[in-house]
Amino acid sequence: MDMEKSLATLDEGTTCSSWNYCGQRLATGCIDGTLSIFDSRDPASSSFHCSSKFQVYESGIAKVVWVPPEFGDAIACICEDGSLLLWEEVVQDGQVLQWKLCKSFKSSAIKVLDVQFGVSSASLRMVAAYSDGHVRIFELLDPLELNNWQLQAEFQNVIDSVSTSGKASCLSASISWNPQRGESQESSFVLGFNSDIQNLNSSKVWEFDQTHQRWLPVAELASPGNKGDRVSGVAWAPNIGRPYEKIAVATHKGIEIWHVGLNPDSDGRLSVEKVASLSSHEGEVWQMEWDISGMTLATTGGDGMVRIWQSNLNGDWHEQAAFEPTF
Amino acid sequence: MPGFASGSADDTSRGAALVPVSTEPHPPAVYPLHLGLKPPISRLSISWSRGNTLRVSAFRQTTSVTKNSGEEIGGKVVEVRLSSSGDGEVSDAQWRRIEYGSVVPFALLQSRRNSVLSLSKMAIDSTPYNVEWLEYVMEYSKDINSLLGSSKLPPDSVIADPNKFLKIGEEPTCLKAAWELMEMFYAEKMFQAWLPERLVDWLADYDSLLSSTQLTVHSKLVNFQKELFSLQVIEDNPRYWEVLSSALAVGWLEIVVKMLRLHGSYQLDQLGKRETENGLVEAVAVLISKMPRLRAKIDGGKLGEVFKAKPDFIKAWEKWRGQITKLECSSFWIQCSHPQTREGLKNMLQIMLGNINSLRTATCNWIELYISHFLYIRPFTVGLESMYSLAQKCMLSKPMFVPHRLIGLLLGILGENTEVVLAECSDGFGPWMVTHAIELLTTASDQAEILLHEERYNLGGISVEELHRLVYAQVLSSHALTWQIAPIYLISCMKQGMGLLEILLYKQPLQHNQLLLKNLEICRLYELDNVGSNIMKIAGVNHWKHGRKGSGVFWLQQAEDEVCLNRIAQQLFDSVGKSISDESFKQWEGLIELLGSESKTSGGLEFLHKYRDFKKSLKQVHDGKITDTARQAVESLMMLMRNPSTPQRFWLPLLFDSLKLLSWWERPLLNVSQTNLLLNKLQELSLARLRPDFIKSDLPPDALNAVRLALATNLGRAILEEQ
Repeated sequence: MDMEKSLATLDEGTTCSSWNYCGQRLATGCIDGTLSIFDSRDPASSSFHCSSKFQVYESGIAKVVWVPPEFGDAIACICEDGSLLLWEEVVQDGQVLQWKLCKSFKSSAIKVLDVQFGVSSASLRMVAAYSDGHVRIFELLDPLELNNWQLQAEFQNVIDSVSTSGKASCLSASISWNPQRGESQESSFVLGFNSDIQNLNSSKVWEFDQTHQRWLPVAELASPGNKGDRVSGVAWAPNIGRPYEKIAVATHKGIEIWHVGLNPDSDGRLSVEKVASLSSHEGEVWQMEWDISGMTLATTGGDGMVRIWQSNLNGDWHEQAAFEPTF
Repeated sequence: MPGFASGSADDTSRGAALVPVSTEPHPPAVYPLHLGLKPPISRLSISWSRGNTLRVSAFRQTTSVTKNSGEEIGGKVVEVRLSSSGDGEVSDAQWRRIEYGSVVPFALLQSRRNSVLSLSKMAIDSTPYNVEWLEYVMEYSKDINSLLGSSKLPPDSVIADPNKFLKIGEEPTCLKAAWELMEMFYAEKMFQAWLPERLVDWLADYDSLLSSTQLTVHSKLVNFQKELFSLQVIEDNPRYWEVLSSALAVGWLEIVVKMLRLHGSYQLDQLGKRETENGLVEAVAVLISKMPRLRAKIDGGKLGEVFKAKPDFIKAWEKWRGQITKLECSSFWIQCSHPQTREGLKNMLQIMLGNINSLRTATCNWIELYISHFLYIRPFTVGLESMYSLAQKCMLSKPMFVPHRLIGLLLGILGENTEVVLAECSDGFGPWMVTHAIELLTTASDQAEILLHEERYNLGGISVEELHRLVYAQVLSSHALTWQIAPIYLISCMKQGMGLLEILLYKQPLQHNQLLLKNLEICRLYELDNVGSNIMKIAGVNHWKHGRKGSGVFWLQQAEDEVCLNRIAQQLFDSVGKSISDESFKQWEGLIELLGSESKTSGGLEFLHKYRDFKKSLKQVHDGKITDTARQAVESLMMLMRNPSTPQRFWLPLLFDSLKLLSWWERPLLNVSQTNLLLNKLQELSLARLRPDFIKSDLPPDALNAVRLALATNLGRAILEEQ
C-alpha cells in the first residue's frame, strides 16, 4: 500500500513553496524571481497544475507566505536581497483576473528575514523581522486594499530595551503568530533570531497591550544557560482548548517544546515550562509545523528527513515516525 | 496524537503505537518517502493538509550544468497519509462504508448515555450504568458488528459434496474478530457463564486468521482437504486421524462427524465385513453429536445439546462423560480389526475425556489448547482471573513464536489491562477501532471507566476517551468524502471538540458554492456563528476581488461585515465621482440595489441610494419629460444637497449635472430659499478649494462658474415669481 501520492511537479530552480489556508493552492518561488501558482480543478482532485507563472522580482525568492484568506488571494514574497513584495490575484477595472503587485517594501541595507500575518478582531497585522534585529508591525488600513499599510510598532526582540548594545547582524529570524482567532483574544506572536547578539536570539512571546496600544514581551522561551542560542525556527501550536499554549522552538541543540500559561502574573508575565528537549536533524532544523489539533509536530532538517513527534499519556515527547526521501 | 496503522515500513512492525503503553523509548519506524526525484535534494518543505495528511515539497539542488537545459524537474510535491485504516484487509471503499455506518449507532449511544446520566443525576446514589445501559451497549455493539461483514458461512448447497468437510466462505477479517472478542467480554457481561462457549465459536470462525502467522487446526484441515482426492483408503492414512483429533480438540464437532462418516466402513460393500468397526465409529460420532454445551443456543447445522443453566448442564455432562468411559472400557475394541481406526477412535475418546497430553498433541498453538481446555477439562470456568491464569498456563505449554494482533488483544482483555487493550486496538486496528471500542471498554470495570474518563493535564485537560475521538475525527477529516461526519464525533468531545471543529471548518475550501453551503449548514447546526460569518467573509472577499462583485457584496452582507461593506460603498463613491454623467450608471446601480437600504451602514449607502434616485429622475428629464418629473429631480437634488452624508466632493458634480434644472426654460424650478441653500454650498466649496486635502473633480474648468451663473439666474427668476 502506498502511503504517498504525487501532487505536483515543480520547475527547475524552485526554492520554496507554501500552501494556502485550505490546501487548494500552492505557491512556489524560484531562484530566477518567478512565482508559480498551482491549482487543482476540483476540491477532491489530488493533481495540481501550474495556473499562473509570473516574474515578481529580479532576484531569487527565498520565502513565500500566503496572506490570510479573509483578505483575498495574496502572497508575500521575501526575496534574496531582503525585499518584501505583496502580490495579489485580483480583477481590476474590467480587466481579466491576474496577479498584481500591490505593495513592495524594497530592501536597503537592512533585509527582511521573515514575515507572518495575524488576524485579530477583523484587522490584519503583518509582523516583519529585519536583519538589524528589529521587528516592525504593520496594520492594514483598508481590508479590501492590500497596498495600504501603516507602521504600528517597531522594537527589538529583547526583554529589556536598555540592555541592547552593538549593531546586530542577523542571519535569519522566525515568527509564529498565536493561531487563535477569537474576538476576545489579544494578538500575540513568538519571535526568535539567529544573530550575533545574544539577547536578540532567544524566543520571546510578544503580546499587544490593548489599553496602552503597545507590544510587550510576556514570556521568554529559553533556559537560563541557553538564552544566547541561535533560534532557527519557532512554531505556535493551535490550541483547541488546552489550559496552556504549546510552542516549539528549534536551535542548533535541537527542538524544545514549551508550555506557556494563559494568564499573566502580577508582572504581566506568562509562566513557562520546558516539557521536552528533542535532539534531531543533526542540529539543523529547517521547519516545524503543528497539525490542526496541536498534538503532532512535523519537522524537517539538515539530515533530509521528515520527522513526526508526539507525546504519550504521561506527557513524554518522542519521535513517532520518520520519513526518508528516496528516489 | 493521530496514530499510524499499518504502514509500508515492514510487515511485522505495524507502525508506531498511538499511545505507547511503555514509557521506554523505542526507535521510531522509518518509512521511505518515494519522491520520484533525482538527488541531490537541497531542501524539504512541509505543510499539514486535511486532517492528518502531510504534504512534503522537495526541491532539487540547482547545478550550473542543468541550469540552462530547462528540462530538468526542479522538485516534487507529495502527500503522505499518516493514518491508514488497517493493513489493507479492508478496502478503502469498505472502510468508508464502515465509517459512515458507525455514525448512527455511535450518536444514538451518546444520546442515550446523556439521558441516562441526566436521569441518574436526579436520583442521587443510583448507578449510572445499569442493566438497561448494558442493553444499549449490546445493541450498539451488534450494530457495529454487522457493519464489519458476515462471519457466518454461506448456507451449504442442497447437495453437499460428501468429500468437502470444510466450507470456504467469505474471508473473515481480523477487524470483525477483534470486535467480537470485545463484544463477548464487555457487552455480553450478563452472560458470563456462556463465555467459554462463545470463545469456542469465536475460534471456529477466526482460526483461519491465525494461520497467517502460525500452524493452526484450520490450516491442517485445509491441507488435508486438498490431499483428500488422492486418498484411496482414508482410514489407513494417519493424517486422517490426526486431523480428526485436532478438529475435535477445538470443538468443530460437525466437521469431525462429517469426516468420520468418510470412514471406509460406511461403504455399502464394506458393511458386512466391518460391522464392529463401523459400530465403534458411529458410536463415537453419536457421542460427539450429543456433547452437552453450556450456551444460549446453537446455530443450525452445529452439533451438541444445549443447556442454558449450569445445574442441568452439569448433570448432562457427567452422564455424557460416563457414556464415554463406558465406551472406552467396552470389549468391542478387541474385535476391531483395523488398528488405525482403533487407535484413532481411542485417541478421540481421550480428547473427550480431557486427557491433557492428547489435547496438547492435537492442538497447534496455545489458543487452541486453551479452547480445548474449556471444552473438555474445565467446562465451568468462570471469571476473568481464572481464565487469565489458564491462558498463561497454556502459553507456557504451547507458546506462539510469532505475535498476532488478535492474540495480543485477547491477552489484554483477559489480563484486564485496559491500557494494553487500547494499545492493541490502536496498533492493530487504527483509530476507528479505538474510538468505537472505548464504548465497550468503559463497561469493563470501574477502573477502566476511570482510566478512560479521567481528565489528564498531560493531554491538555482531556480524557483518553476524548483524545481518541479527536484523533479519529482528524482521520475522518483527512478525506474529502468523510470529513462531514467528523463533527458527530467532535461534538461528543466535551472539552476540545468544538475547538477542533472550528479549525476544521475554517480549513475547508470555499471556492465551490456547494462546499460553502455545506460548511455553513454545519456552522448553523452547531451554533458556530463566528466561524460561519468568517467563512462568509472569506467567500465575499474572494468573490469581490475576483470580479464577481454582486456575489461579493451578497456574502459580505451575510457575514454582516460592516467594515468591508463600508469600504465597498466608499469605492462606489469613487467610481461615482469619476463618472457622474457616465453610462456606467447601470453597472453600479445594480450594486447599490444589492447593498440594500437595510444595512446599518447608513452614511455612505444612504447617499448612494438617493443619488441613484436623483440620477433616475434626471435621466427622465433629459428624455424630454414634463415638468412634474423635473420637480421630482429637483426634490432629489435638494435632498442630496441637504443631507450631511453627501460627500463634499460630489456637490459640484451634482450641481453641474443639474444645470438643465437650474435653468429650466419654462419657469424657475427652485424657490428662493432652495437657491440660497445651493449658493451657500457653492460658497463653501469655493473656500474648501483652498484647503490642501481638496479633491478635484474631472469636470470642465468653468463648471463652477456655469453653476454659479445658473443659480444666480434662477434666483432672480424665483424672486420675481415669489413677489
